[in-house]
Amino acid sequence: MSYLHIGKNFTPPDIHGKVTGKARYAEDYSVDGMVYARLYTSPMPHARVVEIDADEALAMEGVFGILTAEDVYPTEAPAPTLLTNEPVYVGDPIFAIAAIDEKTAEDALKKVRVKLEPLPFSVDPVTSLKPDGPSARLEGNIYPREMRSLHWSAEDVERFVTGREPTGPAPSEWSYGDLEAGFDNAALILEESFVTTGYAHMSMEPRSVLSYWQNGRCHVHGSTQSQSFVVPFLARMLGIEQKDLVFVAEYCGGGFGSKISAYPVLAIPGYFSKKLGRPVMLRITREEEYYVGSARVGFQGWIKAGFTREGRVSAVDLYIVQDLGSQQAGGDASSAGGAISILYQPDAMRLRDVPVLTNTTPRGPQRGPGQNQIAAIFEPMMDKAARELGLDPVAIRRLNAPDSSATLNANQGPVTSAYMKEALDRGAELFGWSERIKKSGQRNGSKVTGIGVGQGYHSAGANGFDGLVRITPDGRIHLHSGVGNLGTYSYAATTRAAAEALKCNWENCIVHHGSTEENLPWSSYQAGSNTTFTHTRANYVAAEDAIRKMKLIAAQVLGGTPDQYDIADERVFDIGNAARSLTYGEVAAKAVELGGEFSGETWPEDIHEVTQRAVQGIAGTGLIGVAKDNLPVRGTVPGLTVGFIEIELDLETGKHEIVDFLAVAECGTVLHPLGLAGQLRGGAVWGFGMAGLERHVYDPQNGLPANVGYYQTRPPTYLDIPAHMEWSAVDIADPDNPVGSRGVGEPAMGSATAALMCALSDALGGHLFNRTPVTPDVVVNHVSGQGQSHGPLATNTF
Amino acid sequence: MNVNLSRRRFIKGVIASSAAAASSAAWYSAAADDRPAGTVERLVVLNVNGRKRPVDVLPQETLAFTLRYKLGLTGTKLGCNRGECGACTVLVDDINHYACSMLTHSVRGRAVTTVEGLQDASGALHPVQQAFIDELAPQCGYCTPGQIMSAVALLRENSEPTRQEVREALSGNLCRCGAYDHYLNAVMTASKRMRARGQIT
Amino acid sequence: MSAYDVMPDMELFQPVTVEDAAALAERLGSRGWVLAGGQDTYGWLKDRAKHPKAMVDLSSIDVLNGIEETDGGGVKIGAMTTLREVSRDQLIRARYGLLAAAAARVASPQIRNQGTLGGNVSQDTRCWYYRRGLSCYRAGGNICYADSPEGMNREHAIFGASRCVAVSPSDTATALVALDATMVIQNTRGVHRVAAGDFFVGPAVNITRMTVLRPGDILTAIELPADWAHAEYYFEKVADRNVWDFALVSIAAAFRTENGTIRDARLVCGAVSCVPRRLTSVERAVIGKPRNDSTGEAVAALASEGARPLNYNHFKAPLMDNLVRRALRA
Repeated sequence: MSYLHIGKNFTPPDIHGKVTGKARYAEDYSVDGMVYARLYTSPMPHARVVEIDADEALAMEGVFGILTAEDVYPTEAPAPTLLTNEPVYVGDPIFAIAAIDEKTAEDALKKVRVKLEPLPFSVDPVTSLKPDGPSARLEGNIYPREMRSLHWSAEDVERFVTGREPTGPAPSEWSYGDLEAGFDNAALILEESFVTTGYAHMSMEPRSVLSYWQNGRCHVHGSTQSQSFVVPFLARMLGIEQKDLVFVAEYCGGGFGSKISAYPVLAIPGYFSKKLGRPVMLRITREEEYYVGSARVGFQGWIKAGFTREGRVSAVDLYIVQDLGSQQAGGDASSAGGAISILYQPDAMRLRDVPVLTNTTPRGPQRGPGQNQIAAIFEPMMDKAARELGLDPVAIRRLNAPDSSATLNANQGPVTSAYMKEALDRGAELFGWSERIKKSGQRNGSKVTGIGVGQGYHSAGANGFDGLVRITPDGRIHLHSGVGNLGTYSYAATTRAAAEALKCNWENCIVHHGSTEENLPWSSYQAGSNTTFTHTRANYVAAEDAIRKMKLIAAQVLGGTPDQYDIADERVFDIGNAARSLTYGEVAAKAVELGGEFSGETWPEDIHEVTQRAVQGIAGTGLIGVAKDNLPVRGTVPGLTVGFIEIELDLETGKHEIVDFLAVAECGTVLHPLGLAGQLRGGAVWGFGMAGLERHVYDPQNGLPANVGYYQTRPPTYLDIPAHMEWSAVDIADPDNPVGSRGVGEPAMGSATAALMCALSDALGGHLFNRTPVTPDVVVNHVSGQGQSHGPLATNTF
Repeated sequence: MNVNLSRRRFIKGVIASSAAAASSAAWYSAAADDRPAGTVERLVVLNVNGRKRPVDVLPQETLAFTLRYKLGLTGTKLGCNRGECGACTVLVDDINHYACSMLTHSVRGRAVTTVEGLQDASGALHPVQQAFIDELAPQCGYCTPGQIMSAVALLRENSEPTRQEVREALSGNLCRCGAYDHYLNAVMTASKRMRARGQIT
Repeated sequence: MSAYDVMPDMELFQPVTVEDAAALAERLGSRGWVLAGGQDTYGWLKDRAKHPKAMVDLSSIDVLNGIEETDGGGVKIGAMTTLREVSRDQLIRARYGLLAAAAARVASPQIRNQGTLGGNVSQDTRCWYYRRGLSCYRAGGNICYADSPEGMNREHAIFGASRCVAVSPSDTATALVALDATMVIQNTRGVHRVAAGDFFVGPAVNITRMTVLRPGDILTAIELPADWAHAEYYFEKVADRNVWDFALVSIAAAFRTENGTIRDARLVCGAVSCVPRRLTSVERAVIGKPRNDSTGEAVAALASEGARPLNYNHFKAPLMDNLVRRALRA
C-alpha cells in the first residue's frame, strides 16, 4: 500500500526545542513569587512517625511552612502515599518544607526534629515469607490485589531457595491445558530456579513539579509520559474537579513506565501551594528520583519446561515470587506467564505467583514489565533445550514461534496478527546466522565468542480512546494529540494517520499537545507500547468524522449527495466533476457558519469527558472531527521483536564486549522509520543494562539502599554498548489497525536482554546463570570455579 | 574592587615572589552573620555566550545553578547534580565541563558557552543542532543539550573524528533512552557537513 | 535520610600563591577544605555529609599547573594539572605511558577535563556506607557497616582491613606508585617530599584519612623519576561500566627489561585495599624472567596470596591474579 505519510520520516514539532535548549521541562518554568520545597524522607526502612517538631525550622527567616501527611490526599495501604506517617522504605517522603530558596529549605530540614519508632522490615521477599519473617507493612506482607499475610513453612523456604519445585502456597494462579500430559509428552524436561533484579527506572529528568493556583484552578507543570490520561487521576488526587486542573507536560525527560499516570509527587506542590498561597516548585533530586521514581519488580522463581523430541514446548510450569517493593504493584508475574504463552505456544501452562511486599523503593511497570525479566531467563533455557535436542537456537524458536493463529494467556485468546517466523527468518538472513553461529565458542586469547538470539513480546495496543481534528478557515489542519511526549515522537507520528486519511500536506498541519489548555482529547496512557496502535486508530476515526462532515457540507453548498464527493489535495470535490469543489478552508468556514456538530457545538455522546471539554474549548473555530475509536479489535495486539548478538567475553576479567547487534521488529506496518529505529536501539541499550549492569542493592541489616545515584545503579554508557546497531522490520500490516501499525518499544528491550543472556551462556559452553545482571564478578567467580558470593536466590544484593 | 582585575595584575606583578600576603587572596564571605547585603565581592561579570552578564554569585554556587536560576539559561539541565550524567554539560573556554561540578567563581574571566549560545546571529542552528534534528537523535531530549555541547567541543578540536572518537568524546554524557546510536550518527553527519562548508578545517 | 542537594553556605578563598593557600589552610584547620578540581568535593558538600566552613580553591595558583622536565630526565607535574592534560601530554605519553593510560581511564571526559592529578590521588574512598554520611569508623564513629555479617561489600577490601574495609578509588594512584613517584607537599613550615608508596595510608595508620596530607598541607606537585621513564607498562581497570565507574580491581605495572628479561618491576593493584597495593612477591618473582605468558602463569597466584575476602568480594582474588597474567603477557 502506498502512503503519503505512513512509513515516512518527518520532523516532529518538539524536536527543535530539544536541540536549542528552548524546550521547557517542568523544572524549567518559573513564576513570580515561587517558593521552593524540599522533602524530608525516611531514614528508616519501616517506622512510625511519633512526632515532628518543626518549630525551630519554621521560625527561620525565609521559611514559609511545612506540609505533612495530614494535609494531603489520604490513601489506603499499600497504595502510594503523597506523604506518610508510616514510612515503608528508606527515602519515603514524610513531610515537605518550603522556603525562599532551596538552600534555606535544606537548612530548615536539618532543624526539624523527627521522632521515629522503628518497625519490623524486610528487603528480600523470601526473608518475609519465612515462618516468622518480618512484614513490610503493618497490614501484611503480600498483595494479591488485597493486603494479607503469608508465611511458608521452613521446609517450603528451604525447597524454594535450593531450587527445587516450590511447595510454598501461592496466592495467585492461572493455567490452561493439561500440564501433566504436557510433561508426560516431553522428551526433555528442564528445571531451573532464577532471580532477576528489580532496578530503578532512573529517567534523566527527575520528576520535579511546579504548582500554583489561579482563579480557582490548580496549575501543575509536571513530567509525565501521558497527557490527557493523567487528568482524572491527578484531579482526584488533588481533590478538585477535572475542569479546575491545568496540566502542562509538554516535555517529559524519560519515563519508561515510571511516569505513566499521576504519581504522588505530582500532587504535593498543589497542596503546598494552596496551603501557602504561593507558587511552589518541588525540584526532585537524583537521589529522591531513586526513592520515589519507581523500579522494576524483582523475580525469584522456578521454571519447569517440557520439550518434545522435535523441540516443541509441550508444557511450562512457572512459579514466581515477586518483589513488589513497598507499595502496590504486581502485574509482572502474570505478564511473564503471558509472554511465555505467546512466544512458545506451549500446549499447557501454569503460573503461580507470590506477590510479596518489601521495604524497598516502590515498584511499578518498567519497559516490558514481566515479559523482559522472563525473556532474560527463559530464552537461555531455550538454548539449553536446543543443545540437548541437537537443534539450532533459531530453529527451535522458529518451531515454536507464534503466527496469526497463535493463542495466549490463561484464556488462550487470539492475536490480531503475528509474524514471528518471518522476523526470525529476516534476522537470521541479515545477521548471517548460519555462518555466525560457527564462531560460537571460538577463542581469541582470553576472549571467547558468544552468539545469541533473543525474542521479546509485549501486548501493544488498546482501543476505545478519542481522536480530535480541526480544520480552520485558513485551511490549516489542527491535530489534537492527548498523548504524552515521552520521547518516542508517537504523540505526533500517530496524528499522521489523520493527515493520511485527510490526504493533506504535513506542512499545513499543526499538532497541539502538551497542555490541557491546548484542548486535547481523551487519550490512552503512553505506555505498554500501545500508543502507535491505539492512537493511529483514534486519529483515523476523528479524520473520518471530519471527512464525513466535509462531504455533508459540500453536498449542502454544491448540491447532490455526500457520497458524490471525495477529498484530494485539501479539497472536497464532486467525483463526477472535479471542478466542483471546495477547499478545506472554505468547508471550515461553512462549518463555523452552520454550527452544530460541524463546528463542535454538539458532539458524539460516547466521547470522554476530557474530550468533551476539549471540543467545547475549540467549538466554533472550524470544522471539528471528533470520535471515539469503536473500530473492532479481534484479539491481543502483539508487539514482537528478535535480537541477534555476537559478543566477546573475556574470561579473565569477566567483561563482555558486544561486537554486533541486530534488532528485527514485527510491529505491523512501519509508521515512522527513524522513530522505530530509536525504539529498537534504545530498547537494546536497556536490554544490555538489564543483562549485564543494572542493579538494586539493599543492606538487609538496616534497609539502606546502596544505589541512590547513577554511578551506583549503572545504566549503560556509550562505551558499554556497540558503536553501531542495525535494525530491520517485517513490515506486514496488522488487519486491526487502519494503517496496519502496532507498537514495539518494550519488546525491543526484551529481545536484546535475552540475546545477551544467551550469548553470555553460549560463550561459557551453555552455562546458565539464571540471574540478572551477569556482572564481571559473577563471570570471574564462575570461571575460577570458586562459587558465587551471593546466596541462592538472594535478591536486592550484588 | 574588581577582584578579577586585581588578581590578574597581582599574578603578573609578583608571581615569582614568595612575599605574598594573605590579603592577596580573593575573599568571599557568605557566613550569614557577616554578609553585608548586596556585597560587591559577590557581584561578578561572567562571559556567557559571548555576552557580559553581571550576576550576584554566592561563594559556593555551582555554575549550573547560576546559569539556570540566575541567568535563566534552562537549556543546561540538572540530571544528577553530581557529575554522573552530563545533562549539565557546557563549554568553558571551548572544553566541555559538568556545570553542576564547578564553582561559578572559577569561571570568572573564562568564556562560557551553553546550548543557547550555539545559534548564529541570524538564529540559524549550529550544524550539530541541525544534524541532531535530521537524524532524529534526541528521544526524551533531557540529555540532548549536554550531548550537543560535548559534540561541539569535540568538533572544535577534531574536525574529522572517527565514530569511535565521537563515542569516546561523548562518553561522559549519559542517555537513559539509549539514543546513543542516533547521537553518533548526528555527530558524524555534522562533521561531514561542516567540513563540506569549510566551517572547520 | 533526606536527599540534600544544594551547596550549603560556606566561604571561598581563591589564593594565588601556594604560601597563601598553606597559610589559609593552616588557619582554617579542620574547618577548611582544600579544593582542587572539586570532583570529589561537591558531592560531599551537597549531601551535607561533610561540613567544612570554607573552601581554599587552588585553581588560581598558576605554579600548580603544568608539566615540565626536571634535571636528569624526570618530569614534574603540577598538582592542579588536569587529568585531561596528563593523559594527552606528549612528554608524559612518551616517558610515562602508564600514567597517561591511567589518567585516561578516570571517570568520564568531563571529569578528566576538570579533575586534577593532585585531586585524583587525594580523593576519599567510595565506600557507599561512608559516603552516605553514616557514622562509621572512618567518619569518627565506632562501627564498620561494610564489614558486618550481611554487609554489602562487593567493592571493598580484601587486604589490609583494620576496622575499616574501604578501598583506594584512585586510578592514577596505582600508576604513580608503580612509577615510584614523589609527592611534593608544602605547608607553612616548608616543603617536604614523600614517596608515592608512603603517601597513601591505610586504616591501621589513620582511619580518617586516605593520605598523609594533614590540615594545612598542600600537595603541590608530583615528580616522576627518570629511572622509570620509558619503562614497559601495563594498565587495566576492570569496572562494571567503561565510563564513570570506579575500579573493581585495577593494575598498574611498570617493567624495566633488558634483552627480554625483566630487570626490575613494580606492580600495583587498585581497589583491593585502602592503599594502592604493591605486589611485592610478584615483583620479586618476575625479576630475571622474560615478560611472557608462562611467567605470568607461574607468578599470578602470588598476587592474591593472603587475601581475606568479605562476603561479596571473593572475585577480587582471581581477578587480581588474572590482571597479573595480563600485565606479564602484553
